[in-house]
Amino acid sequence: MIDPEAVRGRIATFLRLQPGKAVDGAVLTDLVTESFVLVQLVIDLQEEFGIRLSGEGLREVRTVGDLITTVTSRA
Amino acid sequence: MIHENELWILSFYRRSEISGALFFGRLAQTVRAGPIQRDLTKHFSDESLHAWYWTDCIEKLGSKPIALDHSYQDQYIEAAGLPGNIMEILAITQVFEKRVIGQYALHRALPGLPPEVEATLQRIMQDEKWHIQWVGDALVSLESEYGKEHIAKTIERCAAADRKVYEKTLDEHSGRLEALIAQRRNREKR
Repeated sequence: MIDPEAVRGRIATFLRLQPGKAVDGAVLTDLVTESFVLVQLVIDLQEEFGIRLSGEGLREVRTVGDLITTVTSRA
Repeated sequence: MIHENELWILSFYRRSEISGALFFGRLAQTVRAGPIQRDLTKHFSDESLHAWYWTDCIEKLGSKPIALDHSYQDQYIEAAGLPGNIMEILAITQVFEKRVIGQYALHRALPGLPPEVEATLQRIMQDEKWHIQWVGDALVSLESEYGKEHIAKTIERCAAADRKVYEKTLDEHSGRLEALIAQRRNREKR
């Protein structure tokens, strides 16, 4: 089972966010300057947590909370 | 000095090569060590070099690159959705690389091409063939993990997104290319 806080921590570290910025409601596209960084983040989360995501599964992902739920539900 | 339309197009190519380099550089940093990481790193290096070739070419033609704020790739995620894994990224890459080589071939066939542009296109197109080759091989190597049919469907979906982006984004590009062709033909008639 993947700890949701570990995923949040990884997202915050990867995106170099200040503490408290990786809250559930934060919109991912607002946290990055270009969308390619999100592609890199998705690959990083897969490598880190040993899961496989798909574009289909990410279609509804808009916020940090959505991404954490998607990652933890893949375990 | 080169014509404004040609300068815009060459600057657009340069900007797209820079976007590609940044993208593959980031990926090469993130994916696990192995053959895909190795080829991604080479791909990153090629795209950087191509951006340099275009910069050099524009300077040799007596101009300076225009700073463009968008590239072809920027529209991809919007049209195809966020790729979720390395197979989906490679599928988009394959479709995109085919588009690039087609676009460069089209440009190369223009009448009255400056020798500097001709040489740059020729040099880059050699590398693009390898890009299509390695990405194709990598996709084949992922068949056991993702399934051949699923990969084929993903490529199909990316190709549909590519057509959408091409129609939308390259309106200005195509207009400038057509203007350039017309200008060259008029010059030849005289």
